[in-house]
This record gives sequence, C-alpha cells and structure tokens, in this order.
Amino acid sequence: MKISFTLNGKKAEVETSTNQTLLDLLRDDLGVKSVKKGCEAGECGACTVLLDGKPVTSCLILAPQVENRHVTTVEGLVEDELMGALREAFMEDGAIQCGFCTPGVLLSAYALLKENPKPTELEVKKSIEGNICRCTGYFKIIEAVMDAAERADT
Amino acid sequence: MKPIPNFILHRPETLEEALKLLSELEGSRPIAGGTDLLIGLREGDCKAKHLVDLGLAKELRYIREDEGMIRIGSTTTLAQVVESRLINAKAPVLSEASSLVGSVQIRNLATIGGNLCNASPGADTAPPLLVLGAEVTIASRNGSKSMTLSELFAGPNRAKLASGELLTEIYFPVTPAGSGASFQKLGRRKGCTLSLINAAAYLEMNGEACREARVAFGACAPTPMRVLDAEVLLRGVKLDIKAIEDVSSACYGLVQPSTRAHARASEEYRREMSCVLMRRALTEAWQRARRNMR
Repeated sequence: MKISFTLNGKKAEVETSTNQTLLDLLRDDLGVKSVKKGCEAGECGACTVLLDGKPVTSCLILAPQVENRHVTTVEGLVEDELMGALREAFMEDGAIQCGFCTPGVLLSAYALLKENPKPTELEVKKSIEGNICRCTGYFKIIEAVMDAAERADT
Repeated sequence: MKPIPNFILHRPETLEEALKLLSELEGSRPIAGGTDLLIGLREGDCKAKHLVDLGLAKELRYIREDEGMIRIGSTTTLAQVVESRLINAKAPVLSEASSLVGSVQIRNLATIGGNLCNASPGADTAPPLLVLGAEVTIASRNGSKSMTLSELFAGPNRAKLASGELLTEIYFPVTPAGSGASFQKLGRRKGCTLSLINAAAYLEMNGEACREARVAFGACAPTPMRVLDAEVLLRGVKLDIKAIEDVSSACYGLVQPSTRAHARASEEYRREMSCVLMRRALTEAWQRARRNMR
C-alpha cells in the first residue's frame, strides 16, 4: 500500500505493507540510519523519533499509521539551533560513548527543551527515562542536556 | 527479530464504522496505542486477521467534566492524562499513576482504555480508577452499556468484552471537599518499570472521622482489586496513625498474590509490601483530605 507523510519537513510518498513498522520503513526503505533498531519492544528507546513533535518508539508504530503526520529524526534537525546546542554540548561534555543511543537521546532531550527550556535535573532524568544507554553514560548525558539548555538560552 | 505476522489494517474515522468492522470481520481486534498489542502479535501471544485502528476516530479522544462526572475517552493517551489540567486539578491521583507507566515515548502512544482492556493485574491506572469509583461504557453495534471497572476485569490479562465490543469511555464522579487520594508503586527500579505491586487509597473526611474509604491493589490478585474488608475497617472510624497502621497490617491477609514461582515477586514479598504501600497510600490520602477541607 502507498502512504504519504512528512519526513523531516519533506513530503514522502512510499510503498509499505500493513505489518511494516515505522522503524523498518525508515531504516530499510528510506535509508534513515540514525534511527536504531534495539529491542523492538518499546523498552530501549534507540528507535525514538518525533511524531508530530512528540517522542515515540518507532518500533511500536505501524508504517501506515503515520499517514499525513510529521516524522522527525536528527537528520531533519541538522540546521536547527536548539539541536545544534544539544549536539555541541554532547560532544564537548563527553556525553557520547558508543553512540548507539545518542540519536534517540538527542530527540528526547530536544522535545523536552522545546517545551521546557529551563528544566530541573529531575525533569531531564524523567525525559530520558525511555532511552537506555548501554555504556551507562547517564551522568554526562544529563550534564550535557543541562548545559545545552544554558547554551540555547544565551 | 521475528517480523509481525501479516494482517489487514482498517483505519475507520468514526466509532460507528469501527464497531461495524469489528462485528463483521472474523478474527478482528481493535488496536489503540499498540504498545502491548504489537509486541503480542510479534511474539505470537495473540493473533489477528484484521486490525481495526482506533487512532483516527477523534470522538474517542477527550477529557471533560460534565454534571459532576469526569469523562475520559478510551483512546486518550496516557501523556494527555498526565498533562490534563482538569485531571491534575480534580483527580491528581490518576495523573500521578499515569505518569509512572512506561516511558515518555510509551505514554505518547499508549491509551488509558488500552491499559484497562489489556487487564494486566499490575496496570498502573487501575487502582486509582478503582478507588475513584470509575465505571466504563462498553459500546457495540447493538448499543452501549455500563459496568463498574471491577466488573471489567475478568481475569489476568482478560477484560470482560465480547467480540465486537469496545470500551469507549471511563467516567467517575468529581470528588467532594474533604477527600484525598494517593497512588503508590513498587518496581524493580524507580523509573520506567513494571509494578511488582501497586496500591491506591481514597479517603473522605468529616472532621476527624472517615466518612468514606476505598482502597485497591494491583498485582496482588489475578486482577486489580478493591479490598472491601479493609474499607470496612476505615469507614466511620476516627482516623489516626494507629488506625492507619492497623488497617495496613491487615492487608497482609486480605490480598491474594499469585503463588506461581515465576511471578515477578514472591507471594510472601507481595503480602509484606502490600502493608507498606497501603500505609503510605492511606497516610498521603489522609494528609491530602485534611488539606482539602473547606
């Protein structure tokens, strides 16, 4: 079946099947490789994308369900100022180790800072609760998100 | 990993159309948030020839108050419950419990109706709704009916829904002045965790006396359940720390946790923790009720 949706600000018309997940559509058919395949059960958050601006696990969404909706991945936020602040903070603060969880964490943090530009540490922790970092670099990630909030402010 | 077995997907835009599809298509199942169902399909725990996606039927997604009742459409997401000003003002216990289900990503997809219809014994939205006295509306092509939330829970992971029936609304009365409620949860971790056991308490105070009391547990029986024998011990009693201690300790013998060896926690541990969580829930509900006197 054919579906159309907005991917990173551009209209996408693609062929999919009813049992294909959004995750597989993005990775296998559209080549969006920042979206990672981890647990495929909604637990690890590596496949996080923004659906109409809200973080969701793309492994638990059927591709046809995004018809007429907006899907955003880090590729679509390269020029975005807030994502730029997050990216720089993550690199400079050592918040990236193996990098597998990073795109998902960045999107969760981005969604938080969009709504809440000056979060508390607890709010940052709560916002990334659905993103598992196997390198367990959580402290640096939390620091980097707090740091990005300051950078974006100035 | 295994692919999701194939099925035919239907995306009706109205409730009426959804009910028609569900009644006419053999082997059909509704899909709301999909956060449990898609995992079940992938694992082979459940089967569906047709999936009827409720996501486009906007009439099932609302939170409103009318004539003393709070009404929540069944496909309202848990994130919408958490963020609802109405729920935060008038039933904060429900937004607190909803905020502890899964992660941000899951709450943006998962629905309150799905959480109840999947009928997990440990569903976090169940105990608060049970103590708020919630009822649900069940619709089918032949009309709609109501039942109490307790009646909906037929067994572990089993809701009392016939094929072709859909849960469309959850509703409960606005609580009066002098009332307070609390939800308590114990998991393996603090965040993003399944409940090993959970509990809720609702108290209505008249001066120092307890006018009404409702308490409920999750993951302490085959279904989430009210504990009527504990409620009787509280109603009409002058509440103090001692009374709360006594009722909480009594929970040890009143809950019926699973004795299965592979359960997430042992029967003994759940009995012990039921006392601890009920003491916390009653203490907080009592504090809130006293603050809520007018």
